[in-house]
Amino acid sequence: MIENRPWLTGFSHLVLVLGVLVVALPVWVAIVASTHPANAFGVGHIPLWFGDQAFANWHQVLIGKEGQASQMLRMTLNSLIMALGITFGKIAISLLSAYAIVFFRFPFRGLAFWVIFFTLMLPVEVRIVPTYEVVANLNLLNSYTGLTLPLIASATATFLFRQCFMSIPGELVEAARIDGAGPIRFFFDILLPMSRTNIAALFVILFIYGWNQYLWPLIVTTDDAYYTLVMSVKRMLSVPDGDIEWNKVMVSTLLAMIPPVLVVIGMQKLFVKGLVDAEK
Amino acid sequence: MSDLVLRNIGKTYDNGYQAIPSIDLTIEEGEFIVLVGPSGCGKSTLLRMVAGLESISQGDLLIKGDQVNNKEPAERDIAMVFQNYALYPHMSVYDNMAYGLKNRGEPKSEIETKVNAVAQMLGLEELLTRKPRQLSGGQRQRVAMGRAMVRDPKVFLFDEPLSNLDAKLRVQMRVEIRELQRKLGTTTLYVTHDQVEAMTLADRLVVLNKGHAEQVGTPMALYERPASTFVAQFIGSPSMNLIPSTIENGVLQLGVDSQLACPQFSTDKVMWGIRPEHVDIVPLQDADLSLQVKAVEALGAETLIHGSVKTSEDKLYPFVVRLSGNHAPDIGQPIGIRVPQQAWHVFDVVTTKRIEPL
Ligand SMILES: Nc1ncnc2c1ncn2[C@@H]1O[C@H](COP(=O)(O)OP(=O)(O)OP(=O)(O)O)[C@@H](O)[C@H]1O
Ligand SMILES: [Mg+2]
Repeated sequence: MIENRPWLTGFSHLVLVLGVLVVALPVWVAIVASTHPANAFGVGHIPLWFGDQAFANWHQVLIGKEGQASQMLRMTLNSLIMALGITFGKIAISLLSAYAIVFFRFPFRGLAFWVIFFTLMLPVEVRIVPTYEVVANLNLLNSYTGLTLPLIASATATFLFRQCFMSIPGELVEAARIDGAGPIRFFFDILLPMSRTNIAALFVILFIYGWNQYLWPLIVTTDDAYYTLVMSVKRMLSVPDGDIEWNKVMVSTLLAMIPPVLVVIGMQKLFVKGLVDAEK
Repeated sequence: MSDLVLRNIGKTYDNGYQAIPSIDLTIEEGEFIVLVGPSGCGKSTLLRMVAGLESISQGDLLIKGDQVNNKEPAERDIAMVFQNYALYPHMSVYDNMAYGLKNRGEPKSEIETKVNAVAQMLGLEELLTRKPRQLSGGQRQRVAMGRAMVRDPKVFLFDEPLSNLDAKLRVQMRVEIRELQRKLGTTTLYVTHDQVEAMTLADRLVVLNKGHAEQVGTPMALYERPASTFVAQFIGSPSMNLIPSTIENGVLQLGVDSQLACPQFSTDKVMWGIRPEHVDIVPLQDADLSLQVKAVEALGAETLIHGSVKTSEDKLYPFVVRLSGNHAPDIGQPIGIRVPQQAWHVFDVVTTKRIEPL
């Protein structure tokens, strides 16, 4: 749409600027608050400019107080393992199941399709009690497997790949057959490279999904060796005597925001390409 | 030994639709066979059965004497060129051509020699590192052919490979395909619905109609002696004029005002035909038949006169005359035409098969 009305342009910009402000203000507050002493936040007014405690706060959170080492590194690692586990697990499973559904004729194929479809209606939050039961019975509480496996099983990514595979022309599949590519070769030589951008887009979405998981890790982990970063923010808020250390909370929050931001920035080009066109 | 034998081949699709009832065909080594027919007549089905992309419901398919009915496409040693080329979009031109050889486990150095040789033959040397989307339609077509050629297969299969190209390129590629096939001497099965392509390429033509082979023969044989009205109308452009007529006592009652001496046939109700190029224009009083002119197409080198002939039953039948040079008859006026008897084709009205004088 090309329009040439100055007031419209001005208005559009105004809306966009307002939007940016609304989104950016809380982040700004978090950054500012992470530079003030612990009590600066509780006294009624919210500081909007930097304080002088930045180094101390960040040092305390990242390295720890004297005599008490920080758990931050450990938790970041846990978050990373969980997020990447969910991402790669989901991509691998979805690729394979979409491959089976689209390219193979097997008995009960229709049933398989609908069962997968059905899981769309059952995200972890809905099936959390029975899932907990299963994970507990399998002795997977307080383990990385227990953290990731139940979140891997869901169908959204399968459908994305199904759509992507179905847009591959039949003649291409036949050409590969004539060229002597069996099912495995076809998968690795043709299908994977052709869905490269889709995989990248999904990687971004799933990484953020995995990284931001809160409820599930809260339930399956009781051992703080498995605590994740996002959980830790909540735990810092629920201290017994209500004396919340806002400065440290904000540092943790900012830390928890960094990896998703890096992933989005790093994969921006592929991400947009994967969602917009599929170079076929 | 015959290269490719189709013995009582038939295809019934899963939904019960019988696309091909039964076809017998024996193809000699190095022959260029073209399958023609209107849309939906089963050309692609037949080709895909030979390729192994479609299961064979009945009969035997032999390649170099081996029964290959149940072999995978790759094991049949055939190569196929598709209508939309089906190049792998993420691979370079080189990799596209090399992929089949790689899968066969041929050594790298050998693959390189083969691909380079074919690339040179097709003029693709400059393009080897490009991706398919960076090529023009004609270049893609060439790469698709290259991919088929490097494998040095026993049989080439083409499914309307030129129909996505513009007219000029189509003519150029047509000539090129024919030359390459002669040079390589590879048995070829080529599907098209374009009868000019069919006539110019084929050693032998197979005209398909609703899944059965209506006639098999050299292009000239089909042109000169079409076995049925279907073939008569399909081969030749513009297609043959056909008028239902009666023969009585050695007289052919053609138009309302036209009675021509005629040899005897086994039936008296016939479909009489003549090709537009075998008709002459003469003054009305000397004419065999009069034609009401409806439209004139002047093509420069030749003129097509579209008109209609009125039969004794008062029906109008379209009739086309093709003359060389430039002519300008008055539209709406009758002109006289002569239809020499040696150019007649006579068919049985009921069976539509060709019949000869007794
Ligand atoms: N998978 C299928 N299941 C059922 N019927 C099919 C199937 N594929 C093709 N047909 C039918 O078989 C007949 C022959 O199809 P085919 O594709 O061989 O035609 P064609 O001669 O190649 O036509 P075109 O010139 O349009 O490509 C058609 O009537 C078509 O509807
Ligand atoms: Mg076809």
